[in-house]
This record gives sequence, C-alpha cells and structure tokens, in this order.
Amino acid sequence: MVCETYFSGNSVVHRLDPRAKLVAAVAFSAVVATSYRTPVLIAALALAIALALAAGLPAGPLWRRLAAVNAFVLLAAALLPFSTPGAPLVWVGSVPYTVEGLVLGARIAAKTNAIVLVVTALLSTVEITRLGHAMSHLRLPSKLIHLMLMTVRYVDLLHHEYHRLATAMKVRGFRPRATLHTYRSLGNLVGMLLVRSFDRSQRIVAAMKCRGFNGRFYVLDHFRFAARDAVFAVLTVLVTAGLLVGEYAWPIR
Amino acid sequence: MADPLMELSGVHFAYDGASPVLAGADFRLDAGQRVAVVGPTGSGKTTLLHLMVGLLRPTAGTIRLFGRARHEESEFAEVRGRVGLLFQDAEDQLFCPTVAEDVAFGPLNQGKKRDEAVEIVRRTLASLGLSGYEDRVTYHLSGGEKRLVSLATVLAMEPEILLLDEPTTGLDERTVGRIVAILSHLPQAMVVISHQKDFLRQVTQTTVHLRDRRLTPGETGPAAP
Amino acid sequence: MHLPDSVLSAPVLVGGAALAAGGVALGLRRMDIDRVPQVAVLASALFVASLVHVPVPPTSAHLVLNGLAGAVLGWSVFPAMLIALLLQAILYGHGGLAGLGVNTVTMALPGVIVWQLFRGGMVRSPSRPAVFAFGALAGGLAVAMAIGLTALALLASGREYRTVALTAVVAHLPVMAVEAVVTGFVVTFVRKVRPELLGARCGFGQPA
Repeated sequence: MVCETYFSGNSVVHRLDPRAKLVAAVAFSAVVATSYRTPVLIAALALAIALALAAGLPAGPLWRRLAAVNAFVLLAAALLPFSTPGAPLVWVGSVPYTVEGLVLGARIAAKTNAIVLVVTALLSTVEITRLGHAMSHLRLPSKLIHLMLMTVRYVDLLHHEYHRLATAMKVRGFRPRATLHTYRSLGNLVGMLLVRSFDRSQRIVAAMKCRGFNGRFYVLDHFRFAARDAVFAVLTVLVTAGLLVGEYAWPIR
Repeated sequence: MADPLMELSGVHFAYDGASPVLAGADFRLDAGQRVAVVGPTGSGKTTLLHLMVGLLRPTAGTIRLFGRARHEESEFAEVRGRVGLLFQDAEDQLFCPTVAEDVAFGPLNQGKKRDEAVEIVRRTLASLGLSGYEDRVTYHLSGGEKRLVSLATVLAMEPEILLLDEPTTGLDERTVGRIVAILSHLPQAMVVISHQKDFLRQVTQTTVHLRDRRLTPGETGPAAP
Repeated sequence: MHLPDSVLSAPVLVGGAALAAGGVALGLRRMDIDRVPQVAVLASALFVASLVHVPVPPTSAHLVLNGLAGAVLGWSVFPAMLIALLLQAILYGHGGLAGLGVNTVTMALPGVIVWQLFRGGMVRSPSRPAVFAFGALAGGLAVAMAIGLTALALLASGREYRTVALTAVVAHLPVMAVEAVVTGFVVTFVRKVRPELLGARCGFGQPA
C-alpha cells in the first residue's frame, strides 16, 4: 500500500537533506507547470531525466509509473487537435485535426513527465515519515503534519483489514456484478471499514491519553544540513531562475 | 497494613443503556503484588482495566489510586503516568512514525526536556533488548517487536502500576519467553489479563476471577505448587 | 479523478491553491487536536476504500467517495483530501505538486457542500429508506460537482480543452450513479451500526 520502492537506494540524491528536496520539488513543479515555451519545457525535461538518472531510480517501477501517468496525457493529446484552432493536418470528416493541437499535446507530455520524474526522484526517495519531519522543520502546521503521519501510519493496517473483509466475502461466494446486491454488499464493506476505523481511532486516543497526551505532538530532530545540501540548494536556485528567465525574459521567441 | 496502591470498592459499570458489565466489583492491589484477572471472553476484563485508569468512569462505587479517591478526569490525569496500561492491540498504542518518537511521547508529555527524553528512550529500549530500534518505523515492525515497543512506551513513563491487557496473545513462544523474562525482573505491581495459563503462572502470584459481574479471589494462586 | 498540473493554466493553479489554502486552514482550525487521530484513521479508511473496484457497466471504476468523506469528516475533508492527494503524488506519481490546490478544491468542496445540505437528513431521518436517499443524494451530487469543477478548471485553462472536459463529464455519468447507490448503502449501514460517526446520537426509529 505505502509503496516504498524508491527510497531504498543510496545515491547522492537519496542522501540529500529532505528539507532541501521538498523545497526544490515544490519550486520545480510550480515553475514547470506554469511554463509554456517549448525550449524551457525541453530543458526542464532534460534536467528531470538527469536527476532521475542521478537518483538511480529502479527502471521497472519507474516505467510502470510513467505509463500510468501518460495514459491520461495520451488521451488528452489525441483529443486536443480536434479542439485547438490552427492549421489542419488532416480532416476527420468535417473536423480539422490541427498541428497546433499536437504541439500543445507534446508540451503537456513534456511537462507532465518532467514533473513526475522530479517528484519521484526527490520525494519518493525520502521515507514518508522523514518527509513529515522535514515539513515540520519548514514550519507547516503541526496538525496537518501529524494528520499526514498518522494517515500513513494506519493506511497499511486498514488495507489489510479491507483485504480480510473482502476475502471473507469472496469465500462466501460473493462476485461483484452490476447488481443492487453487489452495491449493497460493497456499501456494507466500506461502512464496516469506516466503523472499525472509528472504533480504532477511539482506542488510539485512549492510549494517547494514558500516556499523558495534552494536545501537543512532538517531532524529534535529526537533520544535518551538509555541504552537498548547500550545493544542491544553489543548483535549485540556479535551475529555477534559469527556467524563469527562459520563460519570461528571454528575448528571442 | 500499608495503604494499597489501588482499591476498587463496590464498582458498578454499564455502557450506555446496555446491561451492566460490573456490579459491585471489589479489588485491591498492594505494592509489588502481581495479580492475574481471568474470566471468559466478553466478561469485562478490558473494561475493568480501562476503569482503573479512568478511561471509563464507574456508574457507582469508588476507585482509589495512591491513597486518594478519584472521580474527575483531572484526578485521573494526575496519576496517568504512574499507572501504565498496555493495550491489547499494539497497533492502537503505537501511533508515531518512529520508535524513538513513540517511546518519547509519554516522557515529553510528563514535561521532560528533549535531551532527557532521548536518554530515557535509549535506556528503556536497551533494558528491553531493543537497542538500535530508535529510528525504525513503527509500522514496519513485526508483531512481537510492536508488542515490545508498546511495553517500552509504557515503561518509559516509569509507572508504579502496570496494567497488561493480553500481553502475549498472538506471539510466538520465543517472544513470550522474552516478555516473561522482562516482566519477572520488573519491580512494579501488576494486573495481568491473559488466557494463557502458563504465562500467568510465570508472572503472577494470585488470581482473581471475573464472573457474574464481580471479582472473586481464586481458590489457589497460580504460583502455588 | 484528478488533473495533472501540466494541463492547467497558471491563473487556475494559483486560484486553486488559494482556495485550497483557505479550506485547509478552516478545516484545521475547526479540528480539535484530539480529533486528529480520528480524522487520520477515517481518512486512511476512505483512501483504502477509494481503491475498491466497483462494477460500472460496461466496465469497472474506482469509487470517488468525496461525498462520504464530507459526511463523516465535515470541514476536515479539506486537510484530509490534501494529504490523500499529496500521498498519491509521492507514492504513485499521480499529478504534480502545483495542481494539489485545484484538485483538493474540486474534491473537497463538493464534500463540504453535500455535508451541509444533507447532514440533517442523514442524521435525523427516522427511517432507513430516507437515510439511504439522503446518503445517495450526497454521494451522487458530490461526484457530479467534482466533475463539474474539474471541467470548469479545464475550460478556464483554455478553450482547446473543451473536448477533453466533455469526454470526462460523459465518462463519469455512470460512475456518478453507482457512487450514489453505494454511498446510500454506506450511510445506511453507518447510521445503523455507529451513528456517532455521522454525528448522530442514535440509529433508526428514534428521533435524534
């Protein structure tokens, strides 16, 4: 459930300070998502590929992830030439299929893949709990962070609980079809999952109370900002600035 | 005779509108005493432990802890650190991302400084043979490890009474052995719920039966030959 | 059902982020610190449940469950949804970080709206069919609104997305119907077994 395929590596990217990685991932996503010029997007994609290579991401899972993401992109790219005004490439009946639409589709593909690669290389390589600690050091609201950490904490457990319930239904001959019986059974399954979660959350609160919980959560420190993190931070600033200049201030179009 | 650590007299309890779980339960726990509570499933053993720490309030009767009757939440909150409850399901007890944070949670709530808390974590884990577990992620631990870490989170608060709710259920023999060894060396008074007779014989001295909504002393203590 | 940030225009991304920040801030402010574990565990359960494959003729689809999330979480659905989407971005590579705001709003806002509209009906109706009806309305409408907002975000990003937006809306019509029925059953079950979860004090037959 909490798939942790990526953070077991030991590349230089893995060893960077999670705070720096989080800030870099946010900055890169924001800049690339709002860029439209082709050279900028090509540069962003190239940088993302370089980063993914440097992180030594496992090829199999990465391809599967990219395939899933590109399914939507391909659908959009296939439909866009119908609705984008411009020079028709071919006519499908009386509707033009335009070059501009294809270019737009290609840009979207470049952006999407660049962002997914960077998010995977920077954030999927951090254990999610350490990411929570990084967020806490970056002064995000404590309630939000602990909400995230506890969601991650219990999601696997509930996934197992769901599987036990689903298996119990299966051995009693349940097969999902498009019938009211199916929807009622699945409704009961989800309802049961919610009720058990609710009860569990009350036991968790009781256990916290027994240990003197008084409305404060704690995070124990354990980050050290090393020289390589400084280098990475400088690189992040340079790359982000470079992409912004390319998008907004480069004179030649 | 010295004051008991804990004393329940005439305790009644019922969940809203339901039939009573306890009706006139009496109980006494002295320093260093180790008591097993046995009774069929659903007889209210867990409820009893939750009453002892004030997670539930009796509908009638009194609970005295450390020489004072406790009624209000604030009166129980005051002594929560001195009564350590080990929950039946370790998944309910361990909610922090890392082992160190979970073990430190209690001491930090008790007002310990961060450095002191880190030291307590180190010491507690070492005493349970869990050195080096500090940065482990709690939800990646095995069932036995989770149980031991839960025990660590309770012991880190240095309680005077331990309430253990089925501490060995679902564990393999080796882990049970480890828990027996740990518990036998602890100085605390204990109330232990379990269905495993062997285990109870090894860690407790006397037995109390929960039947017909009351607590009755066992005919013979499990420690007797 | 969420959009990759790469198809959205800068104003839509920024607008979405601002709205989401407002919703999340409000959700956090209204959430007692004691309720954090409850919201977290329920959010995990909803996250797991949203992966359930449900037959939707002619194929099958995931549940969306944003209406149900609203019904059990209230305003907390905003922070819970943001976290679910963030985890999906990190763990599965769905969507980027820039689109988190827009996607949080398209999913969570309908949840809050149906909660406000149908809470009374779900909590106070004395009969099972009435509770089912309110639950189904909440589930169906929440998905409809989520699709509507998603289509709006696409159209606001560029006219050339109208075909994509229309396709998405049409593709989700059967999902909406199934979601309504399933949510109706979930709400009926919860009201019967653990009414407190919906903020109700009792099951059927007695006025709350």
